[in-house]
Amino acid sequence: MSARSGWFARAALTLLLAWLVLYPILVVVADAGRGDALATFVSRPGEWGALWASVWISLASVVLAAVIGVPLAFLFEWLEFPGRKTLGSLIALPAVLPPFVGVVAFLFLYGESGFVARAVQAALGLTRAPWRLQGAGAILLVHAYSMYVYFYLFARAGLAKLDASMLEAAQALGAGRWHTLRRVALPLLRPSLAGAALLVFMTALGSFSAPYVFGGGFRVMTTQIVATKLNGELPLAMVETVALALVATLGLVVLRRTEGDDILAALGKGIGPLRRPIRRVSVRALATATGWALAVLLLLPHVTLVLVSLVPYGTWTTEALPPVLSFVNYQRLFGEPERLRPLVNSAWMAAASTAAAIAVALAAGALVGRRGGRWRGPIETLVALPWALPGTVFAVALATTFGAAQPWALRWVLVGTVVLLPLAYLVRNLPVTGRAVLAGYRQLDPAVEEAAASLGAGRWATFRRVTLPLLKPALAAGGSIAFVAALGDFVTSVVLYTYDNRPISIEIMGSLRISELGVAAAFGVMLMLASALVLGLGARR
Amino acid sequence: MIYSPHGRDLLTLLERRFEDLHPDVDVRWLDMGSQEVYDRLRSERANPQADIWFGGPATIFARGAEDSLLEPFRPTWATAIAPHGRGPGDRYAAAYETPVVIVYAEQAIRPDEAPQDWDDLLDARWKGKILIRDPLASGTMRAVWGMIIERGSKQTGDTAAGFRWLARLDAQTKEYVLNGPLLDQKIVRQEGLVTIWDLPDILLSRRDGLRLGYVFPRSGTPVIEDAIGVVRGARHRDQARAFVEFVGSVDAQLLAAREAYRLPVRLDLPADSLPPWARDVRRAMQVADVDWDLLARRGPQWMRHWDEAVRGKSR
Repeated sequence: MSARSGWFARAALTLLLAWLVLYPILVVVADAGRGDALATFVSRPGEWGALWASVWISLASVVLAAVIGVPLAFLFEWLEFPGRKTLGSLIALPAVLPPFVGVVAFLFLYGESGFVARAVQAALGLTRAPWRLQGAGAILLVHAYSMYVYFYLFARAGLAKLDASMLEAAQALGAGRWHTLRRVALPLLRPSLAGAALLVFMTALGSFSAPYVFGGGFRVMTTQIVATKLNGELPLAMVETVALALVATLGLVVLRRTEGDDILAALGKGIGPLRRPIRRVSVRALATATGWALAVLLLLPHVTLVLVSLVPYGTWTTEALPPVLSFVNYQRLFGEPERLRPLVNSAWMAAASTAAAIAVALAAGALVGRRGGRWRGPIETLVALPWALPGTVFAVALATTFGAAQPWALRWVLVGTVVLLPLAYLVRNLPVTGRAVLAGYRQLDPAVEEAAASLGAGRWATFRRVTLPLLKPALAAGGSIAFVAALGDFVTSVVLYTYDNRPISIEIMGSLRISELGVAAAFGVMLMLASALVLGLGARR
Repeated sequence: MIYSPHGRDLLTLLERRFEDLHPDVDVRWLDMGSQEVYDRLRSERANPQADIWFGGPATIFARGAEDSLLEPFRPTWATAIAPHGRGPGDRYAAAYETPVVIVYAEQAIRPDEAPQDWDDLLDARWKGKILIRDPLASGTMRAVWGMIIERGSKQTGDTAAGFRWLARLDAQTKEYVLNGPLLDQKIVRQEGLVTIWDLPDILLSRRDGLRLGYVFPRSGTPVIEDAIGVVRGARHRDQARAFVEFVGSVDAQLLAAREAYRLPVRLDLPADSLPPWARDVRRAMQVADVDWDLLARRGPQWMRHWDEAVRGKSR
């Protein structure tokens, strides 16, 4: 590539990303600044309350998810016991619980008329339900359950790349086990943990289903935006959107600071520590039993969802277990072709957006992956930025930007067309694929590509035959996560869908709206199976 | 293309019948909450996807008309409905009447024990037993709130009385539920025993086996006019007009009444052609006097005030 065309390619990519990621947000900020909505926002205590609630719920979610996820990662990565492999993958399954119906499954399980509450009530002979699943506590429970997976997976990946010789060195220098863990292992894991913390913080900040189902009077910013929009106060909703985006950006900046990539070089070299088998028979049996009990506990919501999908309408009221089970909900789902449309829609939109997100990520990787120069900073920031923007924020921004025909301002009317939603998925997936590909590029040994070039391979052949195969694990991991995220997305879809591309999550919502809980759950089960399948494929090396 | 909160039952029914009458037209619909329809039409203004806005309180339609989201069209049946059912400039017209009722869990409460009027809801017996659909997201609940506030201000000349009443109801309320069907589930599972909702939905749920009982409040209940209108800039304007014409036809009105528990808005239907439930309703129901124009104007402000100053404050 000549220096000149390289410059053009980098500039073009930066501009494209800026248009996709930054521009819509700026349009919303400009809209929000107009009129007196800002003054209204500032003067209402309810708004500040919701903003603060969003922040502390997200921080608490990070802490809880870390407390659960990190020890689990150590357990599964450092110790050997029967069933470790199977359990290790089962434990990641909360990630595939579909949004919305997954939360409803929680309600049926732990809610005040759910199985667990009824069982406890019966066991203790209480006259009323032992607890109520509502408010901040309930939201945190759902968040901790569904988001510890990020810490678990990131920490495990980090541990797998840990160099055993460093731990041995520490021990040889006289450090105890606890000391080694605290002073060597955890600092080496810092980038992984910071990455997970960022992901959990952003997911919790943008979380909508849990506050929507359990919040009651407890309002966070995402539900507040929807309430304001429904009340018809559009300018105020814009201000709220911008406020949430500001908090998210702040979180991104702070967490990126703590990430620190100075010690990254120590990772990925040498061999990981060997797993220590648990030798005492009794302890091993206990560990195995605990592991399986934990897996059952974690799978209960999935089982509940399957169960609810088998309950015909209106047959289950005050009984502890549903009295009638049948496949009637699935028959309804497959019996009417119109109902299958959302499955097809979600599949193609997820596939198209993931492919495009990977293509953009590859372009970014090829242009600035190794020798970045001055374009590297802007491109990497733009790729990571959608992380800082909760789904609701981004959807509102896109709908506003592409709801006006101003070609001279690079705004076209895309609202109401089928392309806007996949476009939103694409942008939302950029951080995942981008991070995976850029990290993959950084670990690539330039000598391999140079060797290919010296053997006479052209640029394209080198890319296709050498670079791409080497990047495959990163692409599979990033791509599968992106695909699953798009497949199950609800918060973006609800703003941008049209009749022709209505996705599964909207159909689930619609079924719930007209009381077809069983059909909604059946859709949820399909979504769950598809997600598990894709993630399973992506995790295979 | 129809945007409607009416639900699969009624929409499929009308879609099939209309397509039988007009084989060349393919009716499509998207089912969503009534406030959501309004929100969606507004954000799609630059490229309208819907041709018809079907269902939702006339108060929301009035705001839609003000925002120029609707196109004037006067169907021939407009003369057969009460004059207040016709929107300004013929931008919309009422298609059904939707009364609000007090709902209770039939398995836990005998009909004569159930609250018989709005003020009964404030009785100590129901403390912590009342579930309410989140009023911000629901046109039905907005109508009830509006009625309470208007009633208070008629008696005292001040909206504060209505808000005080709502604060007392807030003290009785166990939970505000954001989703209607989840509310139904919670009532039949007896997490709460009493709620407020619209009659057609309750009748449909009863038909499908949910054990829900209902009462017409003695002092009168708001009867929401469920409207229909042609969306401005509709791509299929002629078909849209034909559909609006169809919804108000004697045939379709009776069909909706018989199959989907919709109370016809037409006044010229012979009483004996109505299904028995509809005749019962007309007999048992007291209609509350509500100033819908005032509600359409002041509603958002009242709801905002309630949300900030009343909700959850009295527990």
